[in-house]
Amino acid sequence: MKVAVYWGCVIPTIQYGYEMSVRAVMPRLGVELVDLDNVSCCGTPVQSVNMPAAIYLAARNLAIAEKTGLTNLLLPCNGCYLSLSEAKHFLSYDEKLKEKVNTLLKEENLQYEGSIKIWHTLNLLHDLVKEEKIRETVRHPLNGLKLAVHYGCHILRPSTLQTVDAPENPRKMDNLIGWLGAKSMPYPEKLDCCGAMLLLSHPDAAFTFSGLKLKTVQDWGADALVVSCPSCQMMFDMRQKSVGATIGAKLSIPVLYYSQLLGIAMGIETEKLGLHLNRSPVDDLLRKTGLISTAASP
Amino acid sequence: MPIKARATIPISMSITDLTTTKKPDTALRLKIIAKIGEQKPYNCFQCIRCTSGCPSMKMLELKPHEIVNLARLGFIEELLTSGILWTCATCLKCKERCPQAVAPVDLIFALRNLAVEKEVKVPESFLLSLSAILENGFIQKPQNTVTRKLERVNREKLGLPKFREPDEKFKAAFFKVLEQSQEE
Ligand code: SF4
Ligand code: SF4
Repeated sequence: MKVAVYWGCVIPTIQYGYEMSVRAVMPRLGVELVDLDNVSCCGTPVQSVNMPAAIYLAARNLAIAEKTGLTNLLLPCNGCYLSLSEAKHFLSYDEKLKEKVNTLLKEENLQYEGSIKIWHTLNLLHDLVKEEKIRETVRHPLNGLKLAVHYGCHILRPSTLQTVDAPENPRKMDNLIGWLGAKSMPYPEKLDCCGAMLLLSHPDAAFTFSGLKLKTVQDWGADALVVSCPSCQMMFDMRQKSVGATIGAKLSIPVLYYSQLLGIAMGIETEKLGLHLNRSPVDDLLRKTGLISTAASP
Repeated sequence: MPIKARATIPISMSITDLTTTKKPDTALRLKIIAKIGEQKPYNCFQCIRCTSGCPSMKMLELKPHEIVNLARLGFIEELLTSGILWTCATCLKCKERCPQAVAPVDLIFALRNLAVEKEVKVPESFLLSLSAILENGFIQKPQNTVTRKLERVNREKLGLPKFREPDEKFKAAFFKVLEQSQEE
């Protein structure tokens, strides 16, 4: 199955571990990724400044994806998923807006139809690839692992859009973890926001959001926190030290993408999954899987 | 850019006595209502459900129900200059949970857009992303990074395909989009 893929800004310019792991696991599941040419930012970063420009950017990327003639488009980033699904929604009922956007797109010989179906990594795996196929590819079941999941706000809400999972009680990532043999741990702070969108205006508050969540996950005794959004990963993994310093706690909890976890269960080399790029102590987790008994300490 | 070095905006609004000391602005009120989509602030019945689940309320004293109330009364200037608009974490819980389908977060974004239009108190970093996109098509170019063992790596070293920026035509088209949105 061929699926178009749009990576956005954050993944291909700094969150390489997400891109590497998605590229590594998809072929094993029978998904051939088709990269898009000439795409740009999804629009999320300019929503606060100029909403019409944000909608234009989202529609432009969708129009480029439609040109491939493929049925499905994968958006691994939560921010891109929200921006593109929001634009799709506005353009589905506002004919005038659609006309305006298409007049602007003509400059580049593009046209937005609204024909391509969008997916996030989580629902693509859960609803399109499905359980049987995923279970089939597991070579090293992750039995005994107790994991906390973090979905990220922008794929769950608002339910006026086509969301990836149920807004108040999402289950798909929990299921996906179960299919690998691990346990998803229920915890009350599961839906708490990472705070990344406050980084530009109130960094200390942003760090506190992340810190409090990491602290509870650590205190509940999770072996790792599993995420699916590059912005959340940057808060929880890349900035874990500063986040801990902000709330005055010693944080030492492995954080990784679901696609990296899936790759581990498939038995893919950890460097191919970009796990050497995670800043949080993922070696602790790797040792627990029993796969990498000699995993060197950082 | 180190995060800590970025300027933060002080929150300097005392919302409660606005209604007794200031005059509402009807024209701006209509302008802001036109900017938001289906969810209209006049349907709000001040049940405070939005604020009770707002993570920024605990941390930064953001009260989405008050924003909705002030906007529908027409105290737009005051909202624009207060700095409070930039405390929203965009978690979308208020939009999801409002029983009246109001969407305070959409209103906050419309107000931010208006603050930019009127050139009042916008955190500079928000404007920087716009110029970066005009320049590169994305908010940044691929960055060098290090592994946990402190090895320097980039896309090529990691075996990732070459990163492609959009061509010159995109920049011209996007510039036109920005020009046009200013005229409206
Ligand atoms: S939840 Fe909706 S109706 Fe209730 S106060 Fe907030 S905006 Fe108003
Ligand atoms: S979207 Fe903003 S205003 Fe709404 S609940 Fe979240 S932080 Fe509060």
